[in-house]
Amino acid sequence: MRIAIAGKGGTGKTTISGTLARVLARQGHKVLAIDADTTPNLAVILGVPPSTAEEIMALPRNMMERQTQPDGSSKTVFVADSEKVISQHSAVGPDGVRLLVMGKVNHGGAG
Amino acid sequence: MCGAHAAVRGLIGEIVSRGDDERDIIVDMEAGLEHLSRGTGKHLSAFVATIEPYYRSMEVAGRVAALAAELGVGEVWAVANKVRDAGDRKAIEDFCDAHSLRLVGEIPYDPSLIQAEREGKTPLDYSPNGPAVKAIEKLGETLVGAF
Repeated sequence: MRIAIAGKGGTGKTTISGTLARVLARQGHKVLAIDADTTPNLAVILGVPPSTAEEIMALPRNMMERQTQPDGSSKTVFVADSEKVISQHSAVGPDGVRLLVMGKVNHGGAG
Repeated sequence: MCGAHAAVRGLIGEIVSRGDDERDIIVDMEAGLEHLSRGTGKHLSAFVATIEPYYRSMEVAGRVAALAAELGVGEVWAVANKVRDAGDRKAIEDFCDAHSLRLVGEIPYDPSLIQAEREGKTPLDYSPNGPAVKAIEKLGETLVGAF
């Protein structure tokens, strides 16, 4: 199952996302929870300690590369090893839920 | 679009589109859905809009649901949250009917969640048998049953 949850701020999307992730994990599902909010707080609902959440490394900027297509146009493509990115930039919380925080991107370099 | 933003979008797209992945993936999104591209949308099993029984929330839910459908997500659903009474339920049901949204769950208003936050505990740890957690368990069963 791959779902995205969204709604107006304060409508409980993080509470529902995080609790759902843990409930499924307790039932034996292997769960990857992705915090794609710019003010990430999924860690709190998952029960990942703030110190652990803080230690999650910011995502590297060089995951995308601009490549020239055979027809001369250019396209931005994903060039990193996603499994490696997940394992290096996430933390495992209660019930084994793996948390990946998207808000943490290394903004260094040209934007 | 800034590079960092493109990177997040690219990574979500990459993770969600992997066919061999046995993990369940839950993405906690912003209402703007900036991190979803058209390509990613079609790899999601479902998009769930959280909705509270007041106008601004319903308006945003309607907008994100329409946006998700535009991005090619096949199933765009709604979950009612903080429902206190029959009036709340009816307001959300009417809205979902009017916008052709399938209501797949209803989470009741549960004051123990506020208490949990105050004490720095997660809803599941603070109130494992509370009405909100029980309703989220039921939502999980509905989602697992659907896919």
